[in-house]
Amino acid sequence: MITNAYELIVAILSAIGVYDMILGYFQDMGMEFILKVIIVLVEIAVLLVFVLLTVMFLSWLERKMFAVVQARYGPMVTGPRGLFQPIADGIKLLSKEDIIPATADRWIFTLAPYIVFVSVLLVYIPLPFGESLIVSDLRVGLLYIIAISAVTPVSILLAGWASNNKYSLMGAIRAVAQDISYTIPLAITAIAVVVFVGSLSTVDIVNAQQGYWFGIIPKWFIFLQPLGFILFLIACIAEMGRIPFDFQESEQELVAGFFTEYSGMKFAMFFLAEYAHLFAVSGIIVTIFLGGWTGPAIPIIPIQITSLIYFIIKTYAVIFFAMWLRDTVPRVRIDQLLHIGWKIMIPLALLNLLVAAFVVTAGVI
Amino acid sequence: MAWISRNWTMIGIIKGLIVTMKHILQVGNRKTVTVQYPYERMKVAPRFRGKHAVDEDACIGCGICEVNCPNSTIQIVKYDTRWFPEFNLGMCLFCGLCVDACPMNALKMTGDYELADYTRESLVYGPERILFKKEVSK
Ligand code: SF4
Ligand code: SF4
Repeated sequence: MITNAYELIVAILSAIGVYDMILGYFQDMGMEFILKVIIVLVEIAVLLVFVLLTVMFLSWLERKMFAVVQARYGPMVTGPRGLFQPIADGIKLLSKEDIIPATADRWIFTLAPYIVFVSVLLVYIPLPFGESLIVSDLRVGLLYIIAISAVTPVSILLAGWASNNKYSLMGAIRAVAQDISYTIPLAITAIAVVVFVGSLSTVDIVNAQQGYWFGIIPKWFIFLQPLGFILFLIACIAEMGRIPFDFQESEQELVAGFFTEYSGMKFAMFFLAEYAHLFAVSGIIVTIFLGGWTGPAIPIIPIQITSLIYFIIKTYAVIFFAMWLRDTVPRVRIDQLLHIGWKIMIPLALLNLLVAAFVVTAGVI
Repeated sequence: MAWISRNWTMIGIIKGLIVTMKHILQVGNRKTVTVQYPYERMKVAPRFRGKHAVDEDACIGCGICEVNCPNSTIQIVKYDTRWFPEFNLGMCLFCGLCVDACPMNALKMTGDYELADYTRESLVYGPERILFKKEVSK
């Protein structure tokens, strides 16, 4: 039984017939662990390339959709329909001067963008891209995701504070206030799902959603907990800091929020983190509420590939919704944001959890 | 209990989402209104006030345009044995007063709006760049 990407790579190598040869070669030298390290490095490389390509595509998609909604063209010149615009942007950012303000706290200022990016990248570890396509099936996967997401506001606060700029600091403070007030309903709605599944592992959550009710309706948790889904979606959009909750970088008031002072490579890091986060969070929504990689099996094609395709399609549907919302609605006010978070979302999330717990305890499902 | 009286249907947001979705799916007449500027251009209005042009045969070098210009853009200079106006377009506000004042109707404004340049000196448009000859219709 293959359970994660490491074993999948080993299985593929064995299927080609080279695994034993390579293993024997390393065993002769008495350094089996080096092979393990190499395979893990390959895994990381694949994940990184995937994330980078996704980020590039998402930034193009976002600009293009925004342009279409506003009756503009969007990027058009670089490549077909401007598809290579992110590459041009990346090269431009890399070749820009890396400015650190004279009064900034150099160490923290330099460190913050990398903490943001790494904390986002770590979310990908327990994310099931498909059947057995998971870096590591942690038994506390969901808890891990919520815990790692809680690192982001810290690094945002570091960035805002170290910039020594009033706009950065205001943006950082807002981001932290928002993240804290929306992580709570996020966690509570996630717990309501965990109550049904009885496990925090993301793979178990996906497996619990396999099959159909009455032969048609897929057993996704969105149908079991529509309220929970809506709350989770809103909380996720707020966590990501996207419109209508983009207080951390509200352009009209705060220049660019906590990354006002950043340029060049460090700015690129924040940019990468933003879109990598968008994909990761959409993946989590899909995993928890939209059945993850489950879908009708297609004969001949191996399940790893079909499940990956289902996962990507569903994730892009969620991303599309987030972008669609961004193109449509204006920003809410900061007091409305906290009002929605504390006075509406948290009570509703608790109610959702209560109903879920009651249903499970009463043994209705 | 103010929250009871509030509209919880979020009908406004849903209406907005429908409008943007229509744009994404290109339902109805939702053509792109911007143009790919350096490759294609919008047509300028017929009365657009761009770079000046002086009719070589009609201009008598009287200097009335120079007197009427509010920004001292115009200077009368000698060119090829006759006197013609020279425009320092860096100072011009494209008001068109010079055109109105010309007694010979020799001045007109073209639709040429791409006047950005690298130096201030190259913004001085002497007669060699301003003059045009009217086609004589027989
Ligand atoms: S352009 Fe007209 S106003 Fe100016 S010098 Fe010539 S004739 Fe006189
Ligand atoms: S358009 Fe106005 S500012 Fe320009 S040269 Fe004529 S009178 Fe002067």
